[in-house]
Amino acid sequence: MESVYSQYAWLILLFPLAAFVLILCVGRQAKTFAAVTGIVGTLASFVVSLLIMFERMGGGAEDYAWKEWVWLSFGETDIAMGFEVNSLTAIMLVVVTFVSLLVNVYSRGYMAEDERIGVFYAYIALFTFSMLGLVLSVNLLQLYIFWELVGVCSFLLIGFWYHKPEAIAAAKKAFIVTRIGDVGLFLGMLLLFWQMPGHSLDFLAITNAFHNGEMPGWVATAAAILIFVGAVGKSGQFPLHTWLPDAMEGPTPISALIHAATMVAAGVFLVARTFDIFLASTAALDTVAYVGGFTALFAATIAIAQNDIKRVLAYSTVSQLGYMMMALGLGTEAGKDASMYHLFTHAFFKALLFLAAGSVIHAIGKQDIREMGGLARSMKTTMWTFAAGTLALAGIVPFGGFWSKDAILAEALHEHPLLFWVGVITAFLTALYMARLFFLVFAGKPRSQYSAHESPAVMTVPLVILAVMAVAGGFAYPWIQGESLAGHLDVTTMALTTAAGVLGIALGWMLYGRPKSSEDVLAARAPWLHRLLQNKYYIDELYDAVFVKTLRTLGYLLHLIDRFIVDGAVRLVAGGSLALGRLGLRLQNGQLQTYGLVSLLGLVILIIAVAGRRYFHVG
Amino acid sequence: MRDIIANMFGTGENIVFILLSVLIISGAVLMISHTRLVQMVVSLAFVFLGLAGIYVLLEAEFVAFVQVLIYAGAVTILMVFGITMTRRDTEETQPHRPWHNALLLIGVLAFFGVLFFSIRRANFPAGEFNPGEDNTMAIGELLFTKHVIPFELLSVLLTVAFIGAIILAKREEE
Amino acid sequence: MNIVISYLLLAAILFCIGLYGALSKKNAVIVLLSIELMLNAVNLNLIAFSKYGVNPSLAGQIFSLFNITVAAAEVAVGVAILISVFRTRNTSDVVDMDTMKR
Repeated sequence: MESVYSQYAWLILLFPLAAFVLILCVGRQAKTFAAVTGIVGTLASFVVSLLIMFERMGGGAEDYAWKEWVWLSFGETDIAMGFEVNSLTAIMLVVVTFVSLLVNVYSRGYMAEDERIGVFYAYIALFTFSMLGLVLSVNLLQLYIFWELVGVCSFLLIGFWYHKPEAIAAAKKAFIVTRIGDVGLFLGMLLLFWQMPGHSLDFLAITNAFHNGEMPGWVATAAAILIFVGAVGKSGQFPLHTWLPDAMEGPTPISALIHAATMVAAGVFLVARTFDIFLASTAALDTVAYVGGFTALFAATIAIAQNDIKRVLAYSTVSQLGYMMMALGLGTEAGKDASMYHLFTHAFFKALLFLAAGSVIHAIGKQDIREMGGLARSMKTTMWTFAAGTLALAGIVPFGGFWSKDAILAEALHEHPLLFWVGVITAFLTALYMARLFFLVFAGKPRSQYSAHESPAVMTVPLVILAVMAVAGGFAYPWIQGESLAGHLDVTTMALTTAAGVLGIALGWMLYGRPKSSEDVLAARAPWLHRLLQNKYYIDELYDAVFVKTLRTLGYLLHLIDRFIVDGAVRLVAGGSLALGRLGLRLQNGQLQTYGLVSLLGLVILIIAVAGRRYFHVG
Repeated sequence: MRDIIANMFGTGENIVFILLSVLIISGAVLMISHTRLVQMVVSLAFVFLGLAGIYVLLEAEFVAFVQVLIYAGAVTILMVFGITMTRRDTEETQPHRPWHNALLLIGVLAFFGVLFFSIRRANFPAGEFNPGEDNTMAIGELLFTKHVIPFELLSVLLTVAFIGAIILAKREEE
Repeated sequence: MNIVISYLLLAAILFCIGLYGALSKKNAVIVLLSIELMLNAVNLNLIAFSKYGVNPSLAGQIFSLFNITVAAAEVAVGVAILISVFRTRNTSDVVDMDTMKR
């Protein structure tokens, strides 16, 4: 059946872009106008996305692709731009527009006292446009363009409070580290352009070429790994994960939007979109799976020892993205499906957790959880929604995270049992650190001075909506895909993951929830381990020593070369001219005898030249 | 070159020529190399006298006479006057200009080389010289007939010169 | 070879010596002296050609007479200028006789 609304998918792109331009035109004074424009823009996009999704749900509407606009044309190759709607992109559209809408509404309250709130809304609109463009991309080049644009928006928003030097440093770090990944993606793109029949970079063409096994094995492996490098950068997998926790310097709404729900999911989306390349190479799949699994465990261990409320959530995001990558790396359709399922639910409960954390930060002005406590009394809505998010993340029935995590682990049990156990241990650690976070923030008595009150409605309403989605999301996804919930599940995994989750929460309650245990037990029992975890395994320091210092030294060397050799050559030339001038100056000294000497020498030379020439000619 | 020298020692004229040229050249070199001003002037006087002798060799007696009168007499004395009236120290202190002097030496030697070379290559056909019996009378005749205009102009020049010299050297009136 | 060449060479030597003296001596009087030397060399040349040249005649000797006259006048004026300059600047050094700004 022809899809009616899919043809208008370009409107989804148009609304946020128009909002961005409008806010920019009106200027930074228009605070209310900016907020309203941003909210209306994303609302319109959300509505169109819903229409498209509902139409597809009805009974398998066709995928729609429009790629008529030829952007680049050289030789016989044409590269077009356009948009494409299929099951993967339709889901992502809904997620991105929904979370963006809620963040727009939430920011009205969170950023209310900020002078540059207009600029903030403009940036968010630009980001939404870029992310949606990335999702709707027709070919790899167009995706790369929007990929870079999303990186730019992330940079702008992380460094939004630019008078804070940490924010500036974090923005630069984010951009540079993701850039390393982007190089990999670009190289993969070039390789594909070179090897693909007809030099086509369309996802449809890629799918066909690799599905039919037309492409040589090395192309598939190389392209897949290079594309995965790009995903590693953007999704903060090990070893390019260092930028994500630092990105928490930005305002909390954008931590929720960009670094939890959407941009970091772009890496997962990319791998899913080019999945056929990965399917053609087991080496690439294994790389993806092991990197993902390792990252999941690695980040979870660090999260246990962090004391900043947003940093705990950031490492949690890294860990959950690891889960998604691991699922993709299992190399089956079910694995890919489970990964997207988890992306869907994770977007909601992670955004919820971040926005709730933002509510806490907004209320008491602190971010260190060692200084919090006892907020259960004063911030009830925030507490309940945070609890919903925690349970979802920990994977407790019937919250959304349970179903999606279960789907991943069920598949892992079939394909890669080792990764299954890694996933279970990570689930235990996840529950542990989330429980620690929850109890340290909300339970017990306040550990420092502050006054707390509940946040305004404009902030709590999105929290409640997201909490509902955190519960319902688990059921919504299979309903959207038109499959049954039970098809994903497996009794063994269900039992094991529930056990792991409950165990984690119980341990957390024992260590941190009871009134007398407010000190960090881990720090007391195993201080060296705690220090290692708290300092993130010293990876940042390692990178600094190996890469940053080397490059700085190299830069300094080149600076010296520039100053002494290059500049020296220039100064040499200038000095030479000056010396010549000064030599000429000596000739014009007003001394008659000097002039006489010069005339004599000139005469002699002239005579020799003229007469000698005649002489040699004749002779 | 050897036959030239052999030829030169053949006639008495040549011997006189050689003696006189030695006198002239040594006088000139001494003039350059002496340090005291008066010694320089005296050397130059010897040069002038030697030149007068050469003129006699060349059958230009009147010019020789004038040379002794004017040069060895008037010009030399005038120079001595100049020296005495403008001296702060009697020594001629050499200026410290090594580059200048070296280049000058090279230039002068090169110039001499050029002159030497061109003189040697030139062809001078010998002509017949008819000096007449009385050199002075012949010159006088020529001066007042053929070359009378330059002669008169020269007297104007001399007048102008001595008037100018007097005015220049006069002391400023208070 | 012609005898005239020796006279010409002698004149050339005198001229070069005079040139050297004119361009390297510090005292202005000595410079004037060297110039006189150069003029004498020219005279020698003229008289040598008047006897041994292409067209031997007395014109060379008359020319040299004129030369001597002009040289004498020039020496007189030169010394007068020198005395006048010496009065104002109190130096007879050619090196000091320039008014260029430093």
